[in-house]
Amino acid sequence: MGSIVLVARLVLADVRRHQAQAAMLLLAVTVATATMALGLSLRSVSEALYEQTRTATAGPDLVALSGETGPAVTSALTELAGSPGVAAHHGPYRIVYADLTTRDATSSRVVVHGFAEKPAAVNRPLVTSGQWIRPGGTVLERGFATALHVGVGDRVTIAGRPYPVVGIAVTAATSIYPGASQIGPYGGPSDYSGLAWMTRSDARALASSHDLPVTLAVDLELRDPAATQAFRDAHHDSTVRINFRSWQFTAQQDLAMLKGSRPILVVGSWLLSFLAITGVAALAAGRAVQQTRRAGLLKAVGAGPGLIATVLLTEYLALALAGDALGLLVARLTAPAIASPTASRIGDAAGPTGATVVTATVLAVAVAVLSTLRPTLRAMRTATVTALTATPHQPRHRPHLTALSALLPTPLLLGLRLTARRPGRALLQACSTATTVIAIVALLTMHAQQERGYGLNGSPVLPNLRGEHDRRLMLAVAILLIALAVVNTITFTWTTAVEARANMAIARTLGATPGQVSAGLSIAQLLPGLPGAVLGVPLGSGLLSLFAARNAVEAPSSWLLAAVLATLLATAALTALPARLAARRPVARALSAETA
Amino acid sequence: MNVSRAAVRACGLVRTHGEGQSRVRAVDEVDLEVPEGQMLAVMGPSGCGKSTLLHLLGGLERPTDGQVWVAGRRIDTLSERALARMRRRSVGFVFQAFHLMEELSASENVELPALLAGRSRRQARRRAGLLLERVGLADRARHLPSQLSGGQRQRVAVARALVNDPLVVLADEPTGNLDTAATLDVLRIFEELRTAGQTFVIVTHDERVAATADRLVSMRDGMFVDDTRLAGSTTTGLGGLGGLIGLEG
Repeated sequence: MGSIVLVARLVLADVRRHQAQAAMLLLAVTVATATMALGLSLRSVSEALYEQTRTATAGPDLVALSGETGPAVTSALTELAGSPGVAAHHGPYRIVYADLTTRDATSSRVVVHGFAEKPAAVNRPLVTSGQWIRPGGTVLERGFATALHVGVGDRVTIAGRPYPVVGIAVTAATSIYPGASQIGPYGGPSDYSGLAWMTRSDARALASSHDLPVTLAVDLELRDPAATQAFRDAHHDSTVRINFRSWQFTAQQDLAMLKGSRPILVVGSWLLSFLAITGVAALAAGRAVQQTRRAGLLKAVGAGPGLIATVLLTEYLALALAGDALGLLVARLTAPAIASPTASRIGDAAGPTGATVVTATVLAVAVAVLSTLRPTLRAMRTATVTALTATPHQPRHRPHLTALSALLPTPLLLGLRLTARRPGRALLQACSTATTVIAIVALLTMHAQQERGYGLNGSPVLPNLRGEHDRRLMLAVAILLIALAVVNTITFTWTTAVEARANMAIARTLGATPGQVSAGLSIAQLLPGLPGAVLGVPLGSGLLSLFAARNAVEAPSSWLLAAVLATLLATAALTALPARLAARRPVARALSAETA
Repeated sequence: MNVSRAAVRACGLVRTHGEGQSRVRAVDEVDLEVPEGQMLAVMGPSGCGKSTLLHLLGGLERPTDGQVWVAGRRIDTLSERALARMRRRSVGFVFQAFHLMEELSASENVELPALLAGRSRRQARRRAGLLLERVGLADRARHLPSQLSGGQRQRVAVARALVNDPLVVLADEPTGNLDTAATLDVLRIFEELRTAGQTFVIVTHDERVAATADRLVSMRDGMFVDDTRLAGSTTTGLGGLGGLIGLEG
């Protein structure tokens, strides 16, 4: 108990002394775990939303559709509804294929379901605003209405006939917008369509007035909802062609909208974790001497290796676990919006699954351990007396780089020599820059894609929601990545400046100007950033190609070149302030501190 | 007072540290002129302001009041950039803690000021080679500071201070970290340089060092309390050092 209290007090004291570092670790882990938890939760959240909608709307287990009409089809569907395995049914009902135009001239394909004014036992759309259908009025599916920016009381034109929108509703019988058309006219291929409901008589009148294509459907509730495949196999009719859509299929179709979201979030979380590790590792390396002295002090007063490791690692682990909890909470709160981009489903998402919690926690612990294990082990292994008088690790002599730098102007000479002092940190800076460029390349490539809109004939007047959703997610992930990379760049510059404080002070006594020292510190970040930025382009393109569609186009080279240049310019700008602050430190004070 | 012939000149120099009741006048109304070719030793107890005075003369710190001239140019009003250029051309520093760059060899440390002054790599290397030979370390040119003794490190620092042919060398306790043998090595080099006309301002606790100077200034509480010309040193350069060796013997 005493040891636990001691560790807690030491950890709290250390966190208070290094609040900025603690905040950075907390933020980085929160962002990484939230993104990963979201990516891993999308499927379960989407399924949960479908399931809740299905429960709320008495969603059918099977929808049987025929592209043909006529007595034989009606008879076949009616016979199907009376089968022994069917517990309840709704229909047969008409599905009319038409065009819908709003008052602001936005047009889209629409499938109109002719329903009874009184809800049936199966497939009872849930009215979320307004009221259910009445003669002369139409109810729009919520995802469709949201995309059209249409609400209750607005008027829409369907196949040239005006209808007031009397209600907005959701259903689990069809896929989410724009997948309402489960089969196309006459059983052919379907197009992006929204869903509207009318009374049976209005649907019949609509179809006959313009001789519009019509299909028939019946909604079935099975005695065994899981046995949809067995029911289909048992009711294969060779005379009438009937298509079945099971609830499992519809739930799966919901995920099609999220096809691009999962890799964006999961790969994004890897990159965010990587940046978190690089940033925290740089900070931990900067504190290595202090940690070693602390370990020496603990050893001197009788602490064993276990207690020392606990004290040194607990701070990072505790912060990482706090970040993990925060990340999971963020994922829990944002998951419904991200997993349901169309408003076609209702309900709340359950919390992340056990597997997601475990994976996110492993990630958080990995960030903490990977970034701090090396300095911790070094501190533990150092002999007590040596640890108490620990000094910064001396950089290696690099005669070739030193000779090369002698040929360069002073800022480059200083920058190259600073880079050579800490090659590990230079590598981290290169990786951080490459990660930033990977994110930018992904963002630019996604914006370069040509997409078919959801309007009539692929018109972009109704945007492609899947593409929009993916781009929004990619933008959010890219912003997080760039934000972490910015923090890393400032951290690297400041840590480099602090470690090289004495050397830079010496250089100033020898005649280097503050401007040259400041430029040297910036260049020390830019030099590794340059190959990182250049490598980021093929790495980003390669990573995207793993998930991209076959017909995906690459971003124009001019965009990519601009991204590389912008990244380097941003790095220069970001390093300028900490470098300038470091270079302005009085020389005499820096030298005195070194001597002390 | 002939300003043009003074390597370094200070007038009414004041430097205070701290605020309020903890305010300390580290250098208090100091007037000083060091003619070219003179070796000036500044002595005094710890904390009397010797090092601060040296920093003010080299432009590493700015005076609270008063003026400083180096090579006839007033430097207390210069920008940091101009001060850096002035140091490149006119001032060489030697510190008690050597302040060598640990990741650079002896030769590379000596080359650095020459490179900062815009000399080519070849010129810098040739000059560094000559100076290392002059301080007796030609065979240690490729050694890192960690592979050199304290005396050798200080000789590298002296070579580095001289690489741009400065008008004045400012040395802060140059023998403070050295044993007797190393001290004698460094003093021998200073003596040779003084004979060659190099101007020095040396801050020291060590009377053996002070004995090699042309002139000795004593400091206490930030002020000069004594200013003595040391005749033996001015007449024969090796006299002081010879006396020193005699004392040691």
